[in-house]
Order: sequence, then structure tokens, then C-alpha cells
Amino acid sequence: MASSNFLYTHRRIKNIVALTLSMCATLVGLLFLAWILWETLRQGIGALHPQLFTKITAYGEDGGLANAMVGSLIVNLIGILIATPIGVLAGTWLAEYANGTRLGESIRFLNDILLSAPSIVLGLFVYTIIVLPTTALTSGSTTFSGWAGGLALALIALPVIVRTSDEMLRLVPSTLREAALSLGIPQWKLTLQILVRAARSGIITGVLLALARISGETAPLLFTSFGNNYMTFNPSDKMSSLPQVIYQYANDPGDAMHAIAWAGAFVLTMFVLLLSLASRLVLSRNKVSHD
Amino acid sequence: MQANVGAVASTLAQEARAHRDARHDRLFSWVLKGCALLVLACLLGAAGATLWGGRHAFGTFGWHFLVSDTWDPSSDTYGALVPVYGTIATSLIALLIAVPVSFGIALYLSEVAPPWLRTPVASAIELLAGIPSIIYGMWGLFIFAPFFADHIKPWLTNYLGNKPDDGKLSWVAQHVPFVGKLFGSDYPFGASVLTAGMVLAVMIIPFISSVMREVFQTVPSRLKESAYALGSSTWEVVWDIVLPYTRSAVIGGIFLGLGRALGETMAVTFVLGNAMTLSASILDPGASIASTIANQFSEAAGLQKSTLMALAFLLFVVTFIVLLIARWMLRQLAHKEGR
Amino acid sequence: MTESAAAGIHPQSAATSAPIAPTKLKVRDLHFYYDGFHALKGINMDIPEKKVTAIIGPSGCGKSTLLRIFNRIYAIYPKLEAKGEIVLDDENILDASYSMNRLRSKVGMVFQKPVPFPMTIFENVAYGIRHHEKLSRADMDIRVEQALRSAALWDEVKDKLKQSALGLSGGQQQRLCIARGIALKPEVLLLDEPTSALDPIATGRIEQLVEELKSQYTIVIVTHNMQQAARCSDLTAFMYLGELIEFDRTEQIFTKPSKKQTEDYITGRFG
Repeated sequence: MASSNFLYTHRRIKNIVALTLSMCATLVGLLFLAWILWETLRQGIGALHPQLFTKITAYGEDGGLANAMVGSLIVNLIGILIATPIGVLAGTWLAEYANGTRLGESIRFLNDILLSAPSIVLGLFVYTIIVLPTTALTSGSTTFSGWAGGLALALIALPVIVRTSDEMLRLVPSTLREAALSLGIPQWKLTLQILVRAARSGIITGVLLALARISGETAPLLFTSFGNNYMTFNPSDKMSSLPQVIYQYANDPGDAMHAIAWAGAFVLTMFVLLLSLASRLVLSRNKVSHD
Repeated sequence: MQANVGAVASTLAQEARAHRDARHDRLFSWVLKGCALLVLACLLGAAGATLWGGRHAFGTFGWHFLVSDTWDPSSDTYGALVPVYGTIATSLIALLIAVPVSFGIALYLSEVAPPWLRTPVASAIELLAGIPSIIYGMWGLFIFAPFFADHIKPWLTNYLGNKPDDGKLSWVAQHVPFVGKLFGSDYPFGASVLTAGMVLAVMIIPFISSVMREVFQTVPSRLKESAYALGSSTWEVVWDIVLPYTRSAVIGGIFLGLGRALGETMAVTFVLGNAMTLSASILDPGASIASTIANQFSEAAGLQKSTLMALAFLLFVVTFIVLLIARWMLRQLAHKEGR
Repeated sequence: MTESAAAGIHPQSAATSAPIAPTKLKVRDLHFYYDGFHALKGINMDIPEKKVTAIIGPSGCGKSTLLRIFNRIYAIYPKLEAKGEIVLDDENILDASYSMNRLRSKVGMVFQKPVPFPMTIFENVAYGIRHHEKLSRADMDIRVEQALRSAALWDEVKDKLKQSALGLSGGQQQRLCIARGIALKPEVLLLDEPTSALDPIATGRIEQLVEELKSQYTIVIVTHNMQQAARCSDLTAFMYLGELIEFDRTEQIFTKPSKKQTEDYITGRFG
């Protein structure tokens, strides 16, 4: 009797200790994450100033981030515009044409790997296939460009879009396919005009997520779009981007530069968080309308 | 007669349309397949481009490249050991911290927390997984590294390290092998292998805990219920039922986090110190593959550039293998569910 | 052949000597395999023109499978195989050379669950027509209206043709799917348990619609609901374990079935 009581108490204590530890882990994890957000907010809002949005980085600590924001927008846009059609079509192939085939399964698997591949290596890949050849052509200084940066970001956005398109299309009920095919609609029309439309909000979610992902990427831009202290709208030029300027300013010894970097970090974080929220909203609204 | 002609004409038109449709369908499926193959091309291209770029380095240094800790631009001699060691050390430290914490979070969110708390906390953590790594890097550089230098590092060097400020070795440093060396440092700043590992840990906690939580939720409730019905405690259910059931996927999630940590550039570069020397102490600065590339690539030329490419190739191959294992392990659970 | 005759391939054979109507679909020795599983075992039946033919039987008996061969919709999935003959207007539709396009414009289908396309109500009907015929705007408007009228839906939707079809009720969506099918002017209309997802009132409207449509179309309806078969079909086929057990006039099947298995099923002893 006594030994069974002892066993029971022992088990209970073990349980309580383990569950308390798990709660502590959650608290510690949340604490650190809250700390990061809090510092970004505090330092970022403290450094916010209207001229951030009007002046360019050429003025240094008296300047702003206007060219970096414009550059980021253009390079991200190029990335998304390249990755979206390719990603949606590739995802469609996985879901509609290759589901269950060996090649399809392998590509789905490799796409998941590409999803977490080191972005800096993808940057070097684009450097090798775009920047090096164009440099050789112009036989002059290195030809970093917004196009190269956009392509590097496209490679990062691609697997995100492929995966969400694939998943969302596989959720479309097969009866919709049968209904269209039984009207004699050819497969390509069915796919583009009905299935993609039915999975539209899911696909938009994927594109938004991909945009959120690439807008914070720094490493692949260092050797593709490089950076530019002046305002440019021409993607054939070197282009500045928000993460790249943050990286550069944070490594600068001056406190005023650090403040601008924090302001940039704040803007970037808000942009990314808003995008993630928007993508969740699109998806949840879609769920409601489908039920 | 006329009706007949009409019928034939319409049948002919139908045949023509059928042929056209079949042609378009074929063309369409080729286009789609081409797009999907681009994913393959990206992976092969990234491996091929870095291998091609690194061919001079591999050719010049041979196998010695992997074990040499020399990094001397003045004599154009480079070895991969320092960045490789830095990459592995920071990632392992990150895993050592992140895995138990993530497991705790996943356990709390799937079994312990009151239901109204689960979804908001889980979404908050998932949202944080999306914060750009450069933000983690900035926080590490400006907030955490100084904090580490002021509050954590002195304690570690004095009580565990072999180079304490007052010169008096602690009991641990004297009697436990390796620990003294591991924590001995007279470098006064916050940037170090341990700092980088900790920042990485904070960064991958949201990833690993989200995967673990999702995986825990796939355990059929009848399994858990029957264990509870036998009088098992929550901890026993998790340890004896949930973990064995999800083991491969949990390991997969951990490897996924490892893959992220290995390839991460920005969160590490700011807080690693970028010292190209090998040190046994995790409180000394170091370098990782990604941080070395980020710092040196724009100014590098010739053999140094090729060396950086070679390093990128190594990084890509290693992360590819780690992620391959991760995805394969995660897939095991999906198969179990499918059956 | 004697065996299949005994199974009643000609529904007129048992009751009267005169054929009910000319045969529209002639099924001969039809076998079907799912990844090796023998799902239909030598089906023979003659489906008459402009009548309603119901197919009943316990779940898994192959009734939906049979229906899905009539327009070869099964062919979109791998590892499915049909052997035998289905003759529609003197041509074997299972022949590889028979154009899918032509078959699907001749044989329309309505599914268990209403599946409106994610488009407007008008587009749902016009979409299929546009693929088969080039019509002017005015002609298209007329065609769509005709189809919606035939499906007894026009009065309910004529003011909201530009709204999304996903906003309609389940019964309305199903009638829209019927309108979409008959807009192509098919000769045969296949209904696969068209009311199983609907409430009794919506079901009643669909049954009434079936009654109206049979003057123009050959209708084959699969149903798990015996009262429905009794109410709205002229002929009933009973299937069990992949075989056609009995095929006859509906009143014959429901009052004097010639097979023991049919009687057991009708009287609710199994299934």
C-alpha cells in the first residue's frame, strides 16, 4: 500500500515538474520573441522621421531611406512577377498532372528542400548566371542590377508559391473537374479557368507569403542588386534595398546610422507582419465562403 | 439530304475541335512540366554554379582544403576549417537550446494550455517565424550582444572558463575536462560563437515548435484517450504515446531547424565577430560559411572568390543532405497517417 | 447470351412483347476493372430512348461505376479499365477513336453534390456552350435562358444572372448544374444520385424536373432511394455485386420482381 502510494506521488511530481517546465519554456520562448519585437518597435519608432521617406541614402546620417524603399519595392515586384506564373503553373502540374507519379513526387520533395535552401547560395547562383556573363559582355565594372536581384528573390519565392498552389489545388474537390470534363471542356481550360479560379484565394495567400518572405531577404541581394546610394527606377542599374541598407548601416560605427537602420528595420517588420496577417485573412475568408 | 450534310459538317467541326483541344492540352502539359522542372534546375544550377565557381579553390587546395585552418589573403592560402567549424558549432548550440524549448512550447500548446489560449499563442509564434532574419541580427548586435557581454559572459568565464578575470581557476575549470577551454576567453566583446548560437536558437524556435505542435496534433485522440483512461498523467501520455508515435516527424522538424540554422546568414553575421582564427572557446569570435561569404565576397577576387564559392558549395551540399533527411523523416508520419 | 437474356437485357421481354421505345444505349458484355478489382461483370442492357431509366442497388454494387462509363468520365483517373461495348447511335463509345468531345456533347452528366463553377450564374451555363459552339451575344442570351427555363430555375435567378453561383441554395445549384448540362443539347442525361445532398422540397422539384425533361432526353438516373426510382422512372435496373440482376419496367420490378435478390432488396431485407 505504502509503496503504491509512493509510486503514485512520484508519478504526480514528475508530471507536475514536466508540465511546469513546458510552461516555462513557452514563457521563455515568448519572452525572447517579445523582446525582439519590443526593441524593434521602441528603437524604430524613436528613429522614425518624415525625411526617411523623402530623402535618399546618399546624404548619410542626414538622409533617409527613400531610394532603398523604392528599390525594395521594384526588386520584390520583379521577383514576385517572375515567380508567380512559374510557381502557379508548376504547382498546377504537381497537383493536376503528376499527382502520384514518381517524377511528380520527386519534384514535390525537392521543392520542399528548395524552400529551406540557404538563400545566400541562391544569390551566388544568380551572380554566376546573370552578373558574371553581363560583366563579361560590358568588359568593364561589375554589372550588378535590379534584374539580377529580382531573379534571386524569385528563386526564393518560387518554392513557396509552388507549394501553396499545389496544396490548394489538391483541396479543390474532384467533382469540379468531373463536372467540367463531362461538359467536354478540355483539360487546359478546366485548369486555368475553373480550378485555378476555385483555388484563387489560397494561391493569393501563397503569393503574399512569398512576398513577405522575400521582402526580408538580405543575403542574396548583396551580390546581385548590390546597392545604390541614389534614387533609380531602372532595374538595369544597381539597386538599393531596405535590408541591404539596414545591413550596411548597422555595421557602420555611427549612432545616427544605427538609428536609421532601426527605423528601416521597423518599417520592414511592419510590412512583413502586415503581409502575413493579410495572407491569413484571405485564407480564413475563403474558408468561410466555401462551407 | 440537307440535314445529313449538316450533321456531317458538324461532326467534322467537332473532330477538328477535338484535335485542336488535344493539341492544346499536350502543349499546356508540356509548359506546366517545364515550369515544374525549373525547380529541379534551380537546385542543380545552384550546386553546379558554386562547384564551377569553386573549381580553382578545390583544384589548388585539394582535400587539404577541408582540414586547413589557414585563412591568409596576403599569401592567397585558404582553408575551410574555420568557417565550417563555426557553422557547425553555432548550429549545434542553437539546436541544444532550441530543441528542449520548442518541445516545451509544443507540449504546452498541444496538451497543457487552456484551449482559448492555444490558437492565439500558436499564431503569434507562427507569425514570429516570418520576421526577417536581419531583424534577429540587429537585435543580436545592438541589444543581445552587449547584454551578453555585461551579464552572461563574465559569469561563464569566471565560473567555468580557464581564463577568469581574477586569475583564480574555479573548481569546474580545474576538474572537468574541456569545460575550461570551452568557456575560457579574454576577448572583451559580446560577439562570439555562443552568442551567435543563442540568436540562431531564438530564430529557429518558432520553426521547430510550429512543426512539433502540428505533428503532435496528428496523434489520433483515441490513442491518447485510451492512455488517459488507464490513469496515465499528461506527461506520461506525451512521453510514452505521443513522442513514440511522432518520433520520425519530430526528428524531421529538428533537422528542418538545423537546415535553417546552417544556411542562415544575417542573424549570424552580426554577432559572430568574423574572426578567421580557430579557437576552442565558444566565447571567442569565429566565422561561419555564410557570414564569411557575406563579408568578403564583394571585395574578393581570384582565388579568394573561388574559395568562397567552394565554401558555398560545401554549405549547399551539407544543408541539402540535412534537409533531405528532415523531409524524409517528416514524410514518414504522413505515410503513417495516410494508411 | 442466354444467361444475359435471362438477366433481362430487353426490358420489354418480361411484360409485353412490344418494345417500349427504340434503344438509345446498347450495353454489351461490359466489364470494368479498378486497379485489378473486377467491378462490373459482363453487363448487358438496352436503354430506351426518351425514357427515364433508374439504376438501383446497395452501395458498392457498381451502379455509379456503370453510369460513369456512359460518358467515359472514369477515364480521367489512372488504373481504371473498361472492356466491352456501349453503342450509342450505331457507334461504340468505348472505341479509342470515338472523340471525347463528341461524346460529352451528346451525353451530359449531373453529379451527387451540386458543383457550380466559381463564376456567375450566367457564365456557369454559357461556359460549356461557348466551348462547343460560336454564338452571338443575343443567341447566347437566348440559349442560357432556354436552359435555365428547362431546368425550372429561370424565375428564381433571372434578376441575378451576374451574381456568383456559389450564393445559390443547394437545390438551386443542382438545378443550375442540370441547366448547364442540357444547355449543350445532349441526347442522353446521366444523373448520379442527384438529390442525395438535397432536402425533401428541393428533391421534389428535381424529380418533377426529371419528369418534364424526359420528353426530350434519354435519362439514366442512379439512386439509392427506391421510392425515388418508383416515382420517377419508367424502367428500373437492379444491380448487385457488379452484376445486373434484373432490368424491367418499373412497376414490374416493384410489384412482381422475377428474381429473389431483387425482391429481397425491394422489400428491405438487405442493402
